[in-house]
Amino acid sequence: MTDIEMATTERRSFLARLDQKRLFVFAAGSILALLVLPPLYFLVTGAITVEDANGARFSLERFAMLIAQRGILTSTWNSFVFAVGSAVLALAIGGLAAWLVERTNAPLKSLTYLTNVIALGTPYVLYTSAWLLLLARSGPINTWYRQLSGETGVLINVYGMGGMILIEGLLWSPLVFLLLGATLRNFNPALEEAARMSGATTWGTIRRITLPLSAPAILALAMLVFIRTVEAFEVPALVGLPGRVHVLTTDIYEMMHRTMPPDIGSASALSVILLVIVAILLFWYARMTRNAEKFATVTGKSFRPNQIDLGAWRPVAGFALAFYFLLLIVLPAFILVWASLLPFYQTFRSQAFPLLTLDNYRAVFNSPRYITLVINTLGIAFVSATVVMLLTAVSAWLVVRKAPGARVLDNLGTAPLVFPGLVLGVGVMQFFLHVPIGIYGTIWIIIWAFVINYLPYGVRYSYAGMIQLHRELEEAAAAAGATPLTGFRRIVFPLLAPSLIAGWLFIFLLATRVLSLPVLLSGPSSQTMAVAMFDLWGNGQGPELAALGLIWSLAMTCIAVIFYLVANRGGSLRA
Amino acid sequence: MKTALHLRAGAFAAMIATMIAATPALAADPALIAAAKKEGELTWYTTQIVNQFARPAAEAFQKKYGVRVNYIRADSNEVTLRLQNEGKAGRVMADVFDGTGATAALKAANLVAKYIPESANRLPDRYKDKDGYWVATNLYVLTPGFNTDLVKKGTQPRTFEDLLDPRWRGKIAWNSSVTPSGAAGFVGVVLAHMGQEKGLAYLRQLSGQKVVGLQVAARQVLDQVIAGEYAIALNIFNNHAVISAMKGAPSAWIPMEPALAVFSCLSLTAGAPRPNAGKLFIDFLMSEEGQKLYRDADYLPVDPAVQPKDPALRPGDATFRAVFMTPEEIHDNLPKWGAIYKDIFR
Repeated sequence: MTDIEMATTERRSFLARLDQKRLFVFAAGSILALLVLPPLYFLVTGAITVEDANGARFSLERFAMLIAQRGILTSTWNSFVFAVGSAVLALAIGGLAAWLVERTNAPLKSLTYLTNVIALGTPYVLYTSAWLLLLARSGPINTWYRQLSGETGVLINVYGMGGMILIEGLLWSPLVFLLLGATLRNFNPALEEAARMSGATTWGTIRRITLPLSAPAILALAMLVFIRTVEAFEVPALVGLPGRVHVLTTDIYEMMHRTMPPDIGSASALSVILLVIVAILLFWYARMTRNAEKFATVTGKSFRPNQIDLGAWRPVAGFALAFYFLLLIVLPAFILVWASLLPFYQTFRSQAFPLLTLDNYRAVFNSPRYITLVINTLGIAFVSATVVMLLTAVSAWLVVRKAPGARVLDNLGTAPLVFPGLVLGVGVMQFFLHVPIGIYGTIWIIIWAFVINYLPYGVRYSYAGMIQLHRELEEAAAAAGATPLTGFRRIVFPLLAPSLIAGWLFIFLLATRVLSLPVLLSGPSSQTMAVAMFDLWGNGQGPELAALGLIWSLAMTCIAVIFYLVANRGGSLRA
Repeated sequence: MKTALHLRAGAFAAMIATMIAATPALAADPALIAAAKKEGELTWYTTQIVNQFARPAAEAFQKKYGVRVNYIRADSNEVTLRLQNEGKAGRVMADVFDGTGATAALKAANLVAKYIPESANRLPDRYKDKDGYWVATNLYVLTPGFNTDLVKKGTQPRTFEDLLDPRWRGKIAWNSSVTPSGAAGFVGVVLAHMGQEKGLAYLRQLSGQKVVGLQVAARQVLDQVIAGEYAIALNIFNNHAVISAMKGAPSAWIPMEPALAVFSCLSLTAGAPRPNAGKLFIDFLMSEEGQKLYRDADYLPVDPAVQPKDPALRPGDATFRAVFMTPEEIHDNLPKWGAIYKDIFR
């Protein structure tokens, strides 16, 4: 080959490569834009368009009305109190458990891991229902209190802000455990050792070194739980509404479902307000985590965090972790098993023993409807997770390899973080009501919404995996004559697989248990398990819900265990 | 020329077919059965409680005709919302729906088809819409219910005034949705019984009792009372209390006067994807066989020939007085009652 020939080939392949990448950026960008922008557009136009006898016109009157109503300000304040309380509680419980497991010689570590993994596979609706049964006025705790004290009142009134915070805090503690656990595990002990050598006590070291160094991670995590709780729907709906505690998400739901006729316009307006609140919070969150490297304690040096010897406190720690297991698994499972064996729900008492029956399990296994639910739920989760991971893998590759214009992909992929599930539900619904292309009420509209909702998680997993891959392998492929597409398909994709699988499983598990999106979007043939459980609770079939929930959670726990094993091997258990 | 003739003949045949379809088919007309079987399934939006009625009815229908019934249980509001949205999205998915308050609103949105099944011919006219948009399948009677462990029989409140007794403070619950089987329906009865001014005064007093509004079906309100969460449930379906009592639950209902009586109305949707299966299903539920399903489930069938298992549930001169409200009255007044509830109790 002559020099000239070589030069032309090189230039041609360079052009081809450039064009192919450009084409990719354009294609991926268009898909992401088509997914992310329409719900936003229809939410905003739905909020500011008022239809009356003279046709549609622009107006801000809905916002004015929302703000003029005292109810919205109360709901906003409630959302805030609820979120702060839940974040603090989740951090206290999950954080303490994580610290005991990762940094001390406390017993029962495997049990604590198991607790959190099971919790990851359980739908929030089921958890919430179980704790409601436990803490209800007639539940075992209040009944025993009355029997012991001779009082006629209750020890705990669960239907109120306190109950909401308690249950939401418990719901989030497993995630705090898993995320903070990863931080604590990667903690460089050099500074702690230095403190100890300088004569500091164990507690002094924790207070002066460990806590300040973990502060950014803890704060960021607190912010994350705070944001997620502002967006939460299950607990406010099941616990807050009976106690007349309204938050923003339940107000949106009530406007859609509890007024006649449904006020989609006001629901959109309130959704926009919630969207703005979350966007501001996320902006803070981003600023908070941007400087995280300053606190990086993971360096090139190999190390192993030292473990604190608890000494005489070791049994106490063991007791605390056993209590954690009791609170998150044993008690909810106990009350669900009890409920699932009853013809009608009543509290745990000996008089009910003769009534025990397996009818609820029979009903679950004999009803063809539940098979449809399983297929729908798993199918939706499977397709959503697959689409998200494929889309974000390509995007992450283009972003990390700095393809022209690829930054847009990053922004579009992370933008859906601002959508609370319920708000996204309203937006997607508005979109498909205005653009009737025939997927309204089918599983495809739910998949559509899930893909948008989980894009940011996909981006995190794909991006984290991608930055670990040096470009030299692709360069070698290119030198051997491969196009960028071939390079991606044959080199990048297989190497990225562990991160993609971990991300896929995370999204899959989340999609099987989330309620807030499908509750607005599911049609008669596209009901999911979480929606069915929500309906069963509201329609007076608590015992059947318990039977269904136990069977389902058992199956999902198996998947969660796989997730945990895969994620741990890939070393990328971060959400 | 020949083609045109053919076309015209085709159009004529289609016209005849339309005319035949418009005339009511004979009870379980073989042509209707065949067409329904061809469609194979139907979707039913129902307010009936799944394990008490919806599931057994769906199974009986499927056993008889081999046509699958996909039922979705929701309250009247949600049934309305779902169908309105489906209409807007240009894709109606339900073939049949029932409820106490959904028909009129959906009729206004052109989402209800006219259909009175042949099997309903034997029934009195009041169980059929004069315009043909709904048939009544069963009568609901809404009364208070109570937990017989918490409230000794004989000490339960018997009148509206009794509900104001301080010992019930915080111990009464109801369904806070804007439906007849919720707080809104109770507001309607009180206003109808006492008049606007006295009624509102009474409701304000009742609000002082801290009545707990639950965002759940009346069935679940009663279940929470049975579980001991509250002592008294207002505006529950009185037959539910009987059904649970027969299973051994500590539940009973109170013939407090006046009770609220409403129809459960069944309609075919306009644009139903499987109209024949939908029609056959309505025909089935209105037939004597279908009416017996209501009886067997301890509901109150409309068919005078099918006596309920517990006749005491049915209001009348010999038992207790009830205010009867038509679907139209409910539709016209429900938003107003809901607003009064929100104003006084929320």
